[in-house]
Amino acid sequence: MNRTVLIVGFIIAAALLGVLFLGLGKNPAEIRTPLIGKPAPAFALREVGTGQTIDLAQFKGKPVIINFWATWCGPCWEEHPVLVANARTLQPNVQFLGVVFQDTEEKILGFLQQRGSSYPTVVDQAGKTAIAYGIGGVPETYFVDANGIIRAKYSGPMSSDILQENLRKAMTP
Amino acid sequence: MIASLGRLLILGSLLAATAGSLLGFAAGRTRSVDGLKWARRFAYLYCALIMLATVVMVVALLRHDFSVSYVAHVGSRSVPTWVTVVSLWSSLEGSILFWGFVLGGYIAIATFLTRGRYPEYQPDAIGVWLGCAAFFSFLIAGPANPFHTIPNPPLDGPGPNPLLQNHLLMAVHPPFLYLGYVGMTIPFGFACAALLKGRLGHSVLKPLRESLMLPWIFQSIAIMLGGWWAYEVLGWGGYWAWDPVENASLLPWLTATAALHSIMVVERKGILKGWTVTLIQATFLLVILGTFMTRSGVFNSVHSFTQSAIGPTILAFLGFALLFSIALLAFRIDKLETEGRIEGAASREAMFLVNNLLFVLLTFTVLIGTVFPLIVEAVKGKQMSVGRPYFDSMVVPIGAVLLFVLGIGPALPWGRATGEQIRKSLLPPLIGAVVLAALGYVVGVRNPWTLVTLAFGGYAAQVTLKEMFVPMRQRMRRGEPAGLAFVDGQLRRGRRRFASYIVHASAVVAIIAIAVSSSMRQTTELHFAKGQTQQASGYDITLTGIKEVQEPHRSSIISTFVIARNGKPVATLEPNMNQYQMMREPIGSPDVYTTLGGDLYISLSNVDLLNQTASIAVFASPLVVWIWISVIAMGLGALFGLIPSRRAVVSESTETLPEAAAETA
Repeated sequence: MNRTVLIVGFIIAAALLGVLFLGLGKNPAEIRTPLIGKPAPAFALREVGTGQTIDLAQFKGKPVIINFWATWCGPCWEEHPVLVANARTLQPNVQFLGVVFQDTEEKILGFLQQRGSSYPTVVDQAGKTAIAYGIGGVPETYFVDANGIIRAKYSGPMSSDILQENLRKAMTP
Repeated sequence: MIASLGRLLILGSLLAATAGSLLGFAAGRTRSVDGLKWARRFAYLYCALIMLATVVMVVALLRHDFSVSYVAHVGSRSVPTWVTVVSLWSSLEGSILFWGFVLGGYIAIATFLTRGRYPEYQPDAIGVWLGCAAFFSFLIAGPANPFHTIPNPPLDGPGPNPLLQNHLLMAVHPPFLYLGYVGMTIPFGFACAALLKGRLGHSVLKPLRESLMLPWIFQSIAIMLGGWWAYEVLGWGGYWAWDPVENASLLPWLTATAALHSIMVVERKGILKGWTVTLIQATFLLVILGTFMTRSGVFNSVHSFTQSAIGPTILAFLGFALLFSIALLAFRIDKLETEGRIEGAASREAMFLVNNLLFVLLTFTVLIGTVFPLIVEAVKGKQMSVGRPYFDSMVVPIGAVLLFVLGIGPALPWGRATGEQIRKSLLPPLIGAVVLAALGYVVGVRNPWTLVTLAFGGYAAQVTLKEMFVPMRQRMRRGEPAGLAFVDGQLRRGRRRFASYIVHASAVVAIIAIAVSSSMRQTTELHFAKGQTQQASGYDITLTGIKEVQEPHRSSIISTFVIARNGKPVATLEPNMNQYQMMREPIGSPDVYTTLGGDLYISLSNVDLLNQTASIAVFASPLVVWIWISVIAMGLGALFGLIPSRRAVVSESTETLPEAAAETA
């Protein structure tokens, strides 16, 4: 028996397998945003349909769920009913807000009329708000607490469980 | 119904593989002729069952039978038929089934070709092959089952990942990769069998080398096709990003390349036996590691399949295979007796050793860079990524030294050489080095590493071209006519030798093309309004229009650019932006104008249909097309060398050897 081979082999094997084992179950696609724990970037944008300006600051005092989406995005269609249904039960204690970017107002309106809505949607015309929040793709959802601090972020289509779990982070002081 | 049939076939293949594997190992212990015969029959049975299961899946896909879970997951009525067929390997479960299919083919062919020959090694080799097959059948039967029955089938499915639908190259890259990856199981089986027997005899070297060479060819082409696809589709103007999964395909290729060289030293000198089997085992283990990387969801990459539960299962298999290999090596490596020794530092075998060490160094460099983010995350809990600067700064120097060895290795004779011999063989190619480096400098190469690469490349090219035709020249000196000397010296007797120099020559071209195209790339960012003409890298580029095209599964915004050089239009490029129904972000498709001298590559970064304006990135990279050409030439050259010759390989190589030595003396 060759001891050197055995010892060197086992060291390499243990190190490699250990590292891979620890990596299991982690999601590398999850980009942890540096914004968590920081104040949510301020914005005041025009609401689709009414043309009124909605300022994020006006919702201070209750948690806000900000959902970035667009009509050209398939997963956004998927999560839309989840958001609408949850907003119906959770509002007015929790505020829902849709932010659409890289899209036209006409298409958004058509989408909302066809699929329903239960919360305000604003248009991020120049995409500045999306940049301030570091949006990598749609949909992405931010959970802001009553003091205007970002507490959680989720990339990808929302399910009720994911929404509840993240909202809990924004509800606990 | 069809799902149950598929599942039944998979369970059958699992049984056949398990039984055959146990029989193989038992026959290896008892030397039972009947046991071996039955192990072979089970190998064929496994092949038949797994292939039938795959055919069942393809039929289900083509018939849009959404009651089969995999079809419901990746099928769609709105995609073209070729996309439907490609869906077989577009997602996790199907890709494992396809793996089983390829493995079945390899095992059946290897079993058939080695029947009745290598009685010492074949039983254990079949045991190992079918052991691996049993694992993959287990995966397909359990954790990655594509044949679930869906009680209420949907009317239509989402179709495969849009990135895979974006280019035809995606239909060829994965099969080549699987043919490379999976094929490494066969030499692994031979290597394990040799260790189990404690003997790596001369007879088994031929099947070992050939069974390694064939998947190596596929793997080389697959890596190139992957780079080509990234270049044609991803739109950033490059072909290699040191993405974890690109690295995963490169790692086993590096160790396999090293092993192909070290086998030659075993053939000639009877040394490096333990080292060679270690390299072959490492190649297979790196293949399994690569499979884990793509399918566990642990690594972030364009290739990642969705997160899945099969990660732990593959990791367990990797652990088992790793420990099995280490134990086998530790207990048996000292039994593989050495027959000779390296006679001097300036000999061909010493250069083979240097080549091997460099390949292993490269393997470790790439492996560490790939898993380093995992180590940091495990130790510090921080996310990080290892980028291009690490890989480039490590790999470029090692690659340059390898190119240097590729030049001087073949110039040196086997065994001990005199100082006079060494000078005579090593000095003249300096002309090639100086000429190519000077030529590069004249056309504008200033990057020091690129100049070094050109110099080493010129040296290697001169040596390779001189060595390549040695048998022909010798025959001509003896008075044979040129045509006959070529056929006999290059195509028939010297085929394997000629083939290996074709591979070397192609490698030199590939390395030069990679160095020049990556260091000399010019990037220009431009903003266009319709009708406007601007200049970039010596071309006049005009935006003639932007249109939208609707297709069932996507909508595309296509912009049309006319490219002119010296006032003459040379090409029309149509880079586009595709929005697939099921994707979060639009996917851009660049367009490329290719010439032998270099490519002009346009990628859309922003496009406005209403105002007819577009922002583009223009990349001008010299020599890119030579990368694809040289790797294909490399594959064809190696394939040419695999054509069986009527005379035994061993006697042929001893024939050319003294002549070659005499030539340099």
